[in-house]
Amino acid sequence: MFFYILKRLGLMAVTLFMVLLLTFLLMHAIPGGPYSAGKRLPPAVMEAIEAKYHLNDPLAAQFFDFLKRIVRLDFGPSFKYEGMSVNELIAKGFPVSATLGVFSMLFVLAVGIPLGVFAAVKKGKWQDAGVTFLTTLGVTIPSFVTATVLLYFLAFKLGWFPIFGADSLKGYILPMLALSGYSLAYITRLTRSSLLDVLRSDYIRSARVKGLSEGKVIARHGMRNALIPVVTVVGPLFAGLLMGSFVVERIFAMPGMGRFFVQSITNRDYTAIVGFTIFYAAVLVTLVFVVDILYCVIDPRIKLER
Amino acid sequence: METNGLWDKISPQLRQAEKLAGSATYFGEMVYQFSRRKTAAAGLVAVIILVLISALGPVISDRQYDYQNLAHVNTPLMLDTVEIDGQYYYITSNMKVTQVSPEGELLNTLERVGDDSVQKRFSFEISGNVYYLNYKYNPPRLESGDGTVLSKSRLFFNKTYPLGSDSLGRDIFIRLIYGMRISLTVAFIATLVNLLIGVLYGCAAGYAGGGADMVMMRVVDMISSIPLTLYVILIMVLFNNGGFISIVLALGFVYWVDMARVVRGQILSLKQQDFILAAKTMGSGSGYILRRHLIANAVGPIIVTATMQIPAAIFTEAFMSFIGLGVTAPMASLGTMCSDALEGLRSAPYQLAIPAAAICVIMFAFNFVGDGLRDAFDPHMRK
Repeated sequence: MFFYILKRLGLMAVTLFMVLLLTFLLMHAIPGGPYSAGKRLPPAVMEAIEAKYHLNDPLAAQFFDFLKRIVRLDFGPSFKYEGMSVNELIAKGFPVSATLGVFSMLFVLAVGIPLGVFAAVKKGKWQDAGVTFLTTLGVTIPSFVTATVLLYFLAFKLGWFPIFGADSLKGYILPMLALSGYSLAYITRLTRSSLLDVLRSDYIRSARVKGLSEGKVIARHGMRNALIPVVTVVGPLFAGLLMGSFVVERIFAMPGMGRFFVQSITNRDYTAIVGFTIFYAAVLVTLVFVVDILYCVIDPRIKLER
Repeated sequence: METNGLWDKISPQLRQAEKLAGSATYFGEMVYQFSRRKTAAAGLVAVIILVLISALGPVISDRQYDYQNLAHVNTPLMLDTVEIDGQYYYITSNMKVTQVSPEGELLNTLERVGDDSVQKRFSFEISGNVYYLNYKYNPPRLESGDGTVLSKSRLFFNKTYPLGSDSLGRDIFIRLIYGMRISLTVAFIATLVNLLIGVLYGCAAGYAGGGADMVMMRVVDMISSIPLTLYVILIMVLFNNGGFISIVLALGFVYWVDMARVVRGQILSLKQQDFILAAKTMGSGSGYILRRHLIANAVGPIIVTATMQIPAAIFTEAFMSFIGLGVTAPMASLGTMCSDALEGLRSAPYQLAIPAAAICVIMFAFNFVGDGLRDAFDPHMRK
């Protein structure tokens, strides 16, 4: 277990390092430096600036400086938002995105798991077919389509929800629904198939033979094992929710990190792109790591396999 | 003696029925299993139709995706026209009056004669008489010279723009076809990348085993521990958003990792088996074993994975184009069409509905084909 965690930690560090290297090289591959746009500067001033910001150092030295800054969690100033540092942008956007992500995740788990159990219990009946149909819709329809359809009908036509903004909790409902579509369908499918697998096993038969009611068999004996695969995908799924919020935040005009990220890409705000990318990567890698460790704790069989 | 016909010769038809059919080949069985599922067959038909439409696009209409007519902005699928002197007139969304032919084609736009900003009306001259376009009301209405309101009289199918035109006066139908071409090209490229890089990488890792496998799979782990979207964004930025080419490159860089994992797993389990040992004992080279025994036996999962990856790739392209990172204007992608339509959602929802529906159809079609293939190739999943 200890070695497993150590191994995973090592992999995590290497991944993050690669992302850092990639983003750093990317910054250098882009033609033109930060001061080449706009007013032409006299060569002497240019040299002074380059010396001040170490732009003429060897690449390796610059990368080392860059690493030092990142380790101190200093992403530098934004190119385009004057007077804003990338840290401030992240601090402004992340709470909104995280709230949206956590809401969506809770919604997905609270609805997806019961729905999957329901479908598994009613296997082969019309209820099961209905749930399967819904999950097919959820998996295939892109989030931006769901988002716009929800926006058009529930916000424009019926006026039940605000059209944009994250001022009130009510404003989070439509984005949450739009964002959860795919993950909800995925969790439902996964719960259904894994519960069906578990219900076929011998110990469930023993539980039934003992005379337990079907509800108890599923709740006490079935769900424990059926939820293990569900736990594994929570990390990647949360990552997916954070990524998906790029689009949803744009459509609902929410001031989240996804929207800032997309804006920074269209604005060619390079420091912001680098900062956001590294931040995202760090959050996602950490999430996947935590879930993997949790998974190990929940399912003791894993340790034997590795 | 009564034998009830028990000892009669059987009829030729019955004799035919007694004959054994030839044994089904692997692929024959797969085709049968696949076509037995209605959704899978429907998905395949839809994919074929989509390919045909995209291929024949330039033949259907000589217009291009960047064809633009600013006089015909936001024209819907159905033109609600007003009849004046046996001629039909359509009020455009930017307060112009356009004549419509009896066939439903948009003709010339009338010249504005005057603008009375107090009464909030534009005046037009039709065959010598003055008519007013009163924009005090929403929707604006056409009035005759003495102030009587002319009611809408006839609906036409929009012949000039079968699926309407967008906010820049571009033909949605043509752009839809070009958008689908991009989606299908992306599907094709994703498959190519999967089959070339993914299969080769997976084979190499699985067959080599040991340390090489470890390193190669850690690389895959690293790539996949961050959502592919993030890499695609990075690569797009790296290539300075070179439009479609950068999407293709981005897909090429990262879209093979799942395939590599699947193939490696297959190869790892296959190479333990006795027939590989037998092949080795008989002196077959590694290349021969890989080609004839390992890949040949893993072809089912390879095909299934390749198909399952297609919707993901199509979605990624649409997603990137939607957030403004994909193909650049004036090229049309279903994602950019959706994103362009977002601003006019209130007044022209069809501009969003059409490309959105197209994406859904494409996603459904490929998903159904993928599900069908998985069920056909994987007996465990068969119901």
